[in-house]
Amino acid sequence: MAEAGIFDGLVVSSIRAATPLIYVLLGECLTQRVGRINLGVEGQMLVGAAAGYGVAAASGNPWLGLLAGAVVGSVLSLVYAVLTVPARANQFASGLAVWMLGFGLSAYVGAGLVGQHVEGFTPLANGFTPTMVLALLLVPCIGLWLYTTRTGLAWRAVGESPDVARAAGVQPALVIVLGIAAGGLLSGLGGAALSVDYTRTWAEGMSGGRGLVAVGLVIVARWNPWWTLPAALLFGCAEAMSLRMQAAHSAIPAHLLHTLPYLASLAVFAIACVRLRDSGAPAALKNVLER
Amino acid sequence: MNAMLSMVRAQTSGGATALALFVAFASVFFLAIGSNPLAMLAEIARSAWGDSYALGETLLRATPILLCALATIVPARAGLISVGAEGQLYFGALAGTGLLLASGAPASAWMLPAVLLAGAIGGALWALTPALLRVGANANETISTLLLNYVAALLVTWLVYGPWKNPQSQGWPASIEFPMEARLPLLWESRAHAGLLIALVLAVVLHVLLTRSRWGLELDLMRSNPRAALLAGFGQRRRIVLALLAGGLLAGLAGIAETAAVQGRLQADLSNGAGLSGFLVAWLARNHALRAIAWALVVGGLLAAGDGLQMNANIPSSATLVVQGLLFVAVLLASGLRDWRHARAGASHG
Repeated sequence: MAEAGIFDGLVVSSIRAATPLIYVLLGECLTQRVGRINLGVEGQMLVGAAAGYGVAAASGNPWLGLLAGAVVGSVLSLVYAVLTVPARANQFASGLAVWMLGFGLSAYVGAGLVGQHVEGFTPLANGFTPTMVLALLLVPCIGLWLYTTRTGLAWRAVGESPDVARAAGVQPALVIVLGIAAGGLLSGLGGAALSVDYTRTWAEGMSGGRGLVAVGLVIVARWNPWWTLPAALLFGCAEAMSLRMQAAHSAIPAHLLHTLPYLASLAVFAIACVRLRDSGAPAALKNVLER
Repeated sequence: MNAMLSMVRAQTSGGATALALFVAFASVFFLAIGSNPLAMLAEIARSAWGDSYALGETLLRATPILLCALATIVPARAGLISVGAEGQLYFGALAGTGLLLASGAPASAWMLPAVLLAGAIGGALWALTPALLRVGANANETISTLLLNYVAALLVTWLVYGPWKNPQSQGWPASIEFPMEARLPLLWESRAHAGLLIALVLAVVLHVLLTRSRWGLELDLMRSNPRAALLAGFGQRRRIVLALLAGGLLAGLAGIAETAAVQGRLQADLSNGAGLSGFLVAWLARNHALRAIAWALVVGGLLAAGDGLQMNANIPSSATLVVQGLLFVAVLLASGLRDWRHARAGASHG
């Protein structure tokens, strides 16, 4: 049998590694579109991963796991919504509080999950799994929804100017809460996709900063759902390459290779920020990001 | 005078609201996991501050948290939200250990100060990238510091599994043990160490600098009126970089103190979440260096109580992580509600 090249099937591996991130990126994209930056997606991913894994293991049905992840992710995001909408607390601190809470809750619940086993999904053709297909389908769905529907327009308007949106008959507070909850749903789903399908295991803090990476990559994607796909694939490709080089006994040690996705994300984030001023940033966000 | 009184009243009522919210949230959580809330809160207090052993563990846990809180406070006084203490802590531990290994560990009284200094400088170096990205690329420092935290932790993991692994440690990934000359002395009969004294002194010094010096005044101006500070000149960028580097110094010191006292060797996972807990303490203390001391003892105690909880009440120690998160939520909610009441009171005048 021929030696497998390091680039064979890299596209599918990249999509597989990027899949949890695609969900989170789409979710955070919607949240930032309505004018909120939620670092708590990291914690929402974690509770989604723990709940998804627990439910999938107990029921034997990975779909129920995804559903459970989406539900708990949205519930946790409501904490962020309460903190930043009626209470108007600092957005970054509120996100970190939700992360801390989500980390604790998932570690607490997850302590009982160690050693449990999930069946996972039956792979489709070419190494694709249902979570990968669903993620790839969500990108155009959310992209079209945001740019071509009336409600999509209302959400974008709220991110640009809550006052103008209010004058046009939109309730900004409601839209903002919905935008945060959509982010919670998708990040919880992403967390469940991570534990139920990608790693098929639970470990404390297993999201490993993917949620925080997503917060940065949304800015790289210019708050455009269509662009979240290449942004997520960049991270996925860096992760897939690091795993492959490790498997191929690369001279570069594994732990150093694992820094690659973070460094790649930081690099594109920094490049994107240089031109942030004249970009399509939701106006309500600029104050938060640049102060 | 009246204005001051009403401010004091607002502050204390904010604190009371936060406390009430926190007790309510924690009670709901304990009820949800099938425990008696009062008994649990009492058990946490006892495990945190109940006897001299508990107190020693609390002081031990509070030390890096206090330093990381100070590391958050200095940039925060300039209006920057750095969450990079975790990564700076790791890189500080790495740099200090690196100096020790490179020097061949000669027995000398200079070893300890040199190692501590290297640790502090290492932390500052790790803060340099986000600082330069902030002033050069306008890249938000909160996001860049968070991403770099993971990189620093991975670097330490790589070193202790690879080039710096002690061959005698039989599979356990760690560097060689620090010689006695490079170790921080322990305090009393506990595992608390002289790093605590360093942290306390630094908190006082920083408080004086932040409130009395020209530097502190400049930072306040930057925070309260970034545009005016920008107009005031070219020094803005330099001050941003310096504030972030000063934060890095403090967090780096936290990392090397943990290594050179508690663990006695470089290990993976050395931070135990001190960076994020430090951020919480900075927030609880409202960026006031002296108040951070008290809050570090509270949060450090809460986390140290986790082990007691596991042993005495058979509750996973991660329960205290949930309680820590609830504390953060309660404080944000209370301060948000207070500002909201103020804003409404202000609006009704106008």
